[in-house]
Amino acid sequence: MLTPDRNPIQGRNVQLMISCLCDAFFDDAAKAAVEILQQAGCQVTVPSDQTCCGQAAYTAGDWETCRQVMRHTAKVFAGPDPVVVASGSCAAALFHEAPIAFEGESDLPVMQDLARRTWELTDFLRNALGVDQWAGSLAARAVIHHGCHTRGTATREAVRTLCAGIQGLEILDVPDADQCCGFGGVFSVSHPYISTEMGRKKVTDVLSVKPDIVISADMSCLMHQQGIAGRLGSEYPIRHIAQVLRDASMGGLE
Amino acid sequence: MNRQAVDAFASGLDSEVRQAIEAGTARVIENRSHTLAEDYSDLDGLRQLAGQVRQHALDHLDRYLPQAERRLRDNGVQVHYAPSADRALEIITGLVRASGTRVVTKSKSMASEELDLARRLADIGVEALETDLGEFVIQLDDDHPSHIVAPIIHKTRRNVADSFAKHGLGDFDDDPEVITRRARRFMRDKFLAAGVTITGANFISAESGRVAIVTNEGNARFGLAGADIHIALAGIEKVIARDRDLPLLLSLLVRSATGQRISSYVELVSGPRSASQPSGPREMHVVFLDSNRSRIVGGQTREILRCIRCGACMNTCPVYRQSSGHAYRGVYPGPVGTVLGPLLKGEDGFGELADLARASTLCGACGDVCPVNIPLPDLIARVRARSHREGTVSGDAGIPSMGGYSLIARHPGLWRLAMRFGRVLNWLPLRQLPLGVSRAWFTSRTLPRWRGGYFRRWLRSRKEGQDA
Amino acid sequence: MPDDRAIVLDRLSASLDKLSERTPYPEFAADAATPDALRGRGRALFAKRLAKAKTVVFETPQALGDYLSEHDAAIGYCDPDLAPLLRPWLGPNVELDLEFDHGRVNEYAFGITRATGGIIETGSLILTDSDTSNRLGALAPWIHIACLDPAALHETLADAITGMGDDPNIVFVTGHSQTADVEGILVHGVHGPGEQVCLLYDLALPEGHGDPDQ
Repeated sequence: MLTPDRNPIQGRNVQLMISCLCDAFFDDAAKAAVEILQQAGCQVTVPSDQTCCGQAAYTAGDWETCRQVMRHTAKVFAGPDPVVVASGSCAAALFHEAPIAFEGESDLPVMQDLARRTWELTDFLRNALGVDQWAGSLAARAVIHHGCHTRGTATREAVRTLCAGIQGLEILDVPDADQCCGFGGVFSVSHPYISTEMGRKKVTDVLSVKPDIVISADMSCLMHQQGIAGRLGSEYPIRHIAQVLRDASMGGLE
Repeated sequence: MNRQAVDAFASGLDSEVRQAIEAGTARVIENRSHTLAEDYSDLDGLRQLAGQVRQHALDHLDRYLPQAERRLRDNGVQVHYAPSADRALEIITGLVRASGTRVVTKSKSMASEELDLARRLADIGVEALETDLGEFVIQLDDDHPSHIVAPIIHKTRRNVADSFAKHGLGDFDDDPEVITRRARRFMRDKFLAAGVTITGANFISAESGRVAIVTNEGNARFGLAGADIHIALAGIEKVIARDRDLPLLLSLLVRSATGQRISSYVELVSGPRSASQPSGPREMHVVFLDSNRSRIVGGQTREILRCIRCGACMNTCPVYRQSSGHAYRGVYPGPVGTVLGPLLKGEDGFGELADLARASTLCGACGDVCPVNIPLPDLIARVRARSHREGTVSGDAGIPSMGGYSLIARHPGLWRLAMRFGRVLNWLPLRQLPLGVSRAWFTSRTLPRWRGGYFRRWLRSRKEGQDA
Repeated sequence: MPDDRAIVLDRLSASLDKLSERTPYPEFAADAATPDALRGRGRALFAKRLAKAKTVVFETPQALGDYLSEHDAAIGYCDPDLAPLLRPWLGPNVELDLEFDHGRVNEYAFGITRATGGIIETGSLILTDSDTSNRLGALAPWIHIACLDPAALHETLADAITGMGDDPNIVFVTGHSQTADVEGILVHGVHGPGEQVCLLYDLALPEGHGDPDQ
């Protein structure tokens, strides 16, 4: 994944993009994202006209639709302030995929400007705000799932570093941790057999170390994994990294 | 067709085949990463460098291809250009016919697979023997390779022993050493009897006209010691600028392909045998195959032609491992095949294989291991976009329409409404509903409870959340 | 076929003309992919690397003679220029063919030819047409013995590739012939030698027989 050189951060204003999945299913993750950004000293704006980043259409190959949705997103998140995204894959859609989908379009510079302002949440905390230790405690055995869209980005190191600072949080090693869980957006319905087999392998690998929680910067992967585990009759407690950070600040899980 | 073909193939795959592939790829992945980690502290830097070396040659192929041709001619080689696979077949069958030989030995060459060369030579009454052990087994079984480096990765030793027994190569014995000895014995008379030997080319240097051929078995060497005529078939993209590019490219190729540091045999062939040499071809031909490569070279997916055929992308690809190479219905399986497959089919044939680009989660594992830094996930996405634009039947099968999504995602009022009304999903028997292709979600997965609207309500109730 | 040539080259130009920019040739050292740990020089290191690459190394003709008798290798092909120099060290029952007889391809237990050089980085032997008396002799028998003057060593793969002369057939030989095609299980001796041997010794061949420094 290509991360562009981002604009240096001035001031404390940020615009938060919560992601469509947090909007529809994971409201607590979205709340937690607001809370930890505020705790880190940010003035958080959550534009109410935000919808989706456009990635669904990008991966489906419908780039006309993708561009329309991305144009809407660029309009909603206009202005100089950084855009902090509570999802690694939505962030990558804006900073990596949008410039590809807009090649040859007259508003490519608009998308390039957006790309330079876009940060995944933990990347922002760690590398824009310089947070290297997240104070707090959370007694849990946890697996970190790195979504594939964070390959080669600063998010992976940021998630690990922030988790490492939390007292009582034990991070477990999982076999084949780097392998994709098989979600892949539209792939999950266009290739249901392969997607499910990959998901089952991931869920089995994760559950083999008996974690209390599975943490990720991407709820999409976790939703797929939890959905697979659910049909298999297994509990699969998932947490957005923002929830973990907020819960740790409050000193515990419950 | 209302289902993606690769997924349908995978769901019908024999579990023994899947296990064989899983074991085979796991071994190579382990060897590859071990060697690379031990040797290079800045692997990404080397991958980028190698990518640039390859891209430079491709971007200047209009200069380097004729230059390679001149060097080869200076070295006494006859050079042929084949605009299409059919034309390449004509050229090669013509040369074989003219030689009068009945036996041809062949080394592994993916370009020759594009021509289905061994079968086409058999059609004209020539015994064209595949001499790579894996390819030999493929030929005995009238099968197709399922991997570009390990052609029989989908077969077990029992399968191979069965084939040998069936074809009169001894009683059933599944000891790989016995199998190998039998192949050795059978093949050497053929090497000596063959009038023509056909190889591929890993690289061709425009600077010297040297053709680099890499093997572990020594079959290409034996071909080049036994036959009178050598025909090297190479895609035009195999041309590199200079000899000094070879150490870098060979080092990354071999490490990525098998985890070795160098293959048993790296052969640099630049012409017919020297006057003092009693064995080997008196005549050498190079056939440059275009077959739509010249179209790709200036297009938006041109980086795919950097590929040096190491197979690392397929080894690492979870979709390949679930579905096998045969699911890709062509010569090039795995991530590289999802791009190269449809593109090599040309304008008219693109749609036949356009669905291959759907067979990826875009997870990016392939791009991370590619020794020449091909941005595979981006190229796969580009092929998808073209497939959608052209409305290919194979590519669109089982893909949900983005119409409703497009409308809602561009109209925030509708979006907020949809977020609230989505809650009806919590009360519906989703597995039974006619949801079109999206129904595939529910057959193997549950959906979390819909909680649309709650976050926005919470936000409004807080003074800090300052809406625009 | 000038027509075919024109078709391909015209298509290429038309296609490449669409590129707004073309990738420049990068600046890099030819040995950029030589791992630091594999750098080094000297005969002793080369002998070590050969052995690591599963090439059996002998540093005296006597040791080679002993090896052949231990392996009951009684019939072999030998480079006619090397035969008189090696004869004294081989047992009296060892038969040397100075011309490779196709009819005896399955009888030859060994083949002895000259190597042109060696590569320390990879533990490879370099064979060329000008120094190999017969390609088949270096390839078909189970044991291949490459006689190499230890002065002709290249430090890296890059040195070897960029430093080779004009030979139509250069082979870097690293260990024996092998395959892993059947279930990934390594088996040696597929089509080429099952045992690769190097006699690392200056046999003082008469002048005018190739140039070992090439």
